[in-house]
Amino acid sequence: MRMKSLTRRNVLAAALASASFFAATASYAATTVTVWCWDKNFNGATMKEAGDRYTKAHPDVTINVVDFAKADLEQKLQAQLASGTTDGLPDIVLIEDYGAQKYLQSFTKAFEPLSDTGKIDYKGFADYKVALATLNGKTYSLPFDSGDSALFYRSDYLAQAGYKAEDLNNITWDKLIEIGKAVEAKTGHKLLDIDLNDTGLLRIMMQSAGTWYFTPDGKSAIDSPAFKTVLTQYAKLLQSGIYMPVSGWADYTGGFTSGKVAGTVTGVWIVGTIKANADQSGKWGIAPTPRVGDIKESVNASNLGGSSWYVLSSAKSKDAAVDFLGTIWGKDKDFYQKILIGQGALGTLLAAREGDAYKASDAFFGGAPVWQNFSNWLAKIPGINYGTFTNEADAAVAAQLPGLAKGGSVDDAVKAIDAQLKQQMQ
Amino acid sequence: MRNGLVHKIGVNAALAIASFVSVFPFFWLMVGATNTSAEILRGKTSVGGALSNNFQHLTEQVSLLTLFYNSSKISIIATVLTLIVASLAGYGFEIFKTRWSERVFAALLAMLSIPFAALMIPLFVTMAEVHLINTHAAVILPSIASIFVIFYFRQASKSFPGELRDAARVDGLKEWQIFLHVYVPVMRSTYAAATIIVFMANWNNYLWPLIVLQTNETKTVTLAVASLLTAYTPDYGVVMVATTLATLPTLIIFFALQRQFVQGLLGSVK
Amino acid sequence: MAKATASRRDTMMGWAFTGPALVLLGLFLLYPIGYSLWMSFQVGKGTNLSFGGLANIWRLTQDSVFQHALLNTFTLLVVQVPIMISLAMLLAVALNDSRLWGRSLFRTAIFLPCVTSLVAYSVLFKSMFALDGVVNSFLEFLHVIEQPIPWLADPFWAKILIILAITWRWTGYNMIFFLAALQNIDPSIYEAARIDGIPRWAQFARITLPALKPVVLFTTVTSTIGTLQLFDEVNNITQGGPSDSTLTLSLYIYNLSFKFMPSFGYAATVSYVIVVLVAVLTFVQFVAARERRRT
Repeated sequence: MRMKSLTRRNVLAAALASASFFAATASYAATTVTVWCWDKNFNGATMKEAGDRYTKAHPDVTINVVDFAKADLEQKLQAQLASGTTDGLPDIVLIEDYGAQKYLQSFTKAFEPLSDTGKIDYKGFADYKVALATLNGKTYSLPFDSGDSALFYRSDYLAQAGYKAEDLNNITWDKLIEIGKAVEAKTGHKLLDIDLNDTGLLRIMMQSAGTWYFTPDGKSAIDSPAFKTVLTQYAKLLQSGIYMPVSGWADYTGGFTSGKVAGTVTGVWIVGTIKANADQSGKWGIAPTPRVGDIKESVNASNLGGSSWYVLSSAKSKDAAVDFLGTIWGKDKDFYQKILIGQGALGTLLAAREGDAYKASDAFFGGAPVWQNFSNWLAKIPGINYGTFTNEADAAVAAQLPGLAKGGSVDDAVKAIDAQLKQQMQ
Repeated sequence: MRNGLVHKIGVNAALAIASFVSVFPFFWLMVGATNTSAEILRGKTSVGGALSNNFQHLTEQVSLLTLFYNSSKISIIATVLTLIVASLAGYGFEIFKTRWSERVFAALLAMLSIPFAALMIPLFVTMAEVHLINTHAAVILPSIASIFVIFYFRQASKSFPGELRDAARVDGLKEWQIFLHVYVPVMRSTYAAATIIVFMANWNNYLWPLIVLQTNETKTVTLAVASLLTAYTPDYGVVMVATTLATLPTLIIFFALQRQFVQGLLGSVK
Repeated sequence: MAKATASRRDTMMGWAFTGPALVLLGLFLLYPIGYSLWMSFQVGKGTNLSFGGLANIWRLTQDSVFQHALLNTFTLLVVQVPIMISLAMLLAVALNDSRLWGRSLFRTAIFLPCVTSLVAYSVLFKSMFALDGVVNSFLEFLHVIEQPIPWLADPFWAKILIILAITWRWTGYNMIFFLAALQNIDPSIYEAARIDGIPRWAQFARITLPALKPVVLFTTVTSTIGTLQLFDEVNNITQGGPSDSTLTLSLYIYNLSFKFMPSFGYAATVSYVIVVLVAVLTFVQFVAARERRRT
């Protein structure tokens, strides 16, 4: 009789149940969280460190870090999101802050709103980082590194020209130009190197003044007085001759790491690149970012770049990914000390600032309390909504830079940038 | 006779200059492989002592064995299949011309000109539907029927002597036998050139493998080299070693096959 | 009657030979092409798309960046392709002389640039053509110039640099096709011409050139397509700058799809501009080839 009750349907159900039971245990035993990032020695290394820490407490989870070239990663992600297939997408992906809103708004529902999970305390992070990844009241990112900017300079060259560290404290760009001329006259070295295809310095100037290419509601702000003042300042710098023109990343970093030029103004993530030249230890100094003198609101603190971690909605190991980010990246102060020392990665978890590594001084930079300084500047960076068209605006501006460098009119450049940007914003 | 000598010296001098200009960067690449990153940035052009160090750093970061296995597997399979499929098609389009086949061919040429960036996303969707994402098959399959190579074989077939084919027909050979036993041996130099070009294209293929391959286990050499370079602090010494290694396979294929250019058509018929 | 069946048999044979390729192309090319054509009528960002009719074509006519890119691409095409093809042909002919000393060495050397990976080649060109780079130092040493040339910073010189770079990289590649084709010319024809006292240049014009015509057509068409799709060099050496002077159509398509707010529909429309251009140019080249054959 028992046999009879075992209808075909029951057999099938039993088979399915046991199959799914095995499948469930199998997947539980081998939860893999795949992460895409773009620099094996920087964000890749920090992610590996975070993974090692997490898997110690959760041996059933594997964190699999895959790195691509940055432009490649963006292209890959964008192509796959556009295709609408979630096959092959990772669980966690690193996105640069400038592009955050572009992704969130063009691929709605592709990313998981982490604020809904309740596992992350966003009050613990720098405000401006949280705002960048917030759309319609939901926050999507786990904030990672800061692009806290500064003036990095060869203290030996500047000393030779008669400048001390105090002379560089909280100065304007005009003062920096003056210093640059003196440095060249006395040492024969240009002060900076600038890539005319890159608009980084202009972005630093804009953010220091709390302004951007766009109004807070996303319209072009190119014709605003603030943008014109910033562009005028930048044109003055380009016409001052205190810099060596370079092309591309290798040429740019080569300029100041080889001692051809006396320094650069850029984001804190450059520290690793500078310190890679151990023979220059003690010959470097770090000063606050210069401010735009003609804008009252401009402060001696700004930002360039920086990135954050995002979880894909389609992630197969979503729960593990969120738990991992929340546990290590959201709370672990020790971890942040480790990556600060190991990779020079300045996180934006506020509590991490109390750690020992942040208080230490660095002999490479003449024994200055480097990280304490960066932390102080970090708190002053004006918050900005980068909007969704920053890359388009950059392209429009870059097209005008060689003309400005040759002494072209700022008014004409503003008109051309405005026209091109409005055309592209559709 | 004196005129001939002047001509000869002139040709040799021109070729020597062309060769020097061509080789110089390669020389620079190999010298770079022996220097540290800082030395390369400073523009050092003499041989340094950092080669083994650079190589060691490279092997710490990537699994060379896996990368070369993946690239070789993809390139060899794709090259063999492309040569078969494309030479059949090129021969077919030229020898058995009809009004319709000419139209199809013209359409193919137009398709050749569509930038790949426009086709990438739908192709990705296709591959996802047949569950081939992150497999080498997804890289190989779309590359086999290369319009470029079909076009090349078609143009080369124009010099295939019609008398040879007629003679073979009189001898009672079937069409596929003519292709296999007459056309293939006669067109040896064409096949050699195509092998080099197709192998190189597959070995250096970048955009599509980048999109479709997802993990460190399936990546190719070309992808790995690119990701070495875009770090915030690229180690140029390591990049140079990796690039030199990545160049060698195509170079070896070229060395092995260039003999085919020397032995002419007549040699192979006899 | 017999003739008709023979020709039908030939037709069948033609499809049998081309069949495998056509099946593969149908699977992996036709669908993507249809899809991208459909995309070119869509407007919107990322995956939020809607039908826009001819809106993208209207946008093209208003887009000054597109027009700039089109002009750049054409300039590169008109200057670079003829130089490269003639150079490749001349080198191949010179290297085909069996009495030439060291020709295997020369051949390998000239082929070398196209195997060098893009990464190495772009780093290298940037450093060689830097303001204080090897090229400027050499020209100054020869007193050809007095001031260093701003290869990377000046719009005009940046274009020249790109032309030099592509020519350097692809001449040896095109030479391979010519070398292979030269093997199909019977050396005894040259022997006979030499005995008849026909000068070298006439041998070249009357024997070599006609025999190379299919390959000239092939390399010209493929190089034209290659230049119209030019991306690698401009993206890696000049990033399209300075002042967009080296921005090509392909780089613009890439920016529209992957760098800017993703406009896949508009990017597809720009892609089809290239298709139309190639169709026109190819048609012209084929007609020119046919006309010459008739005369």
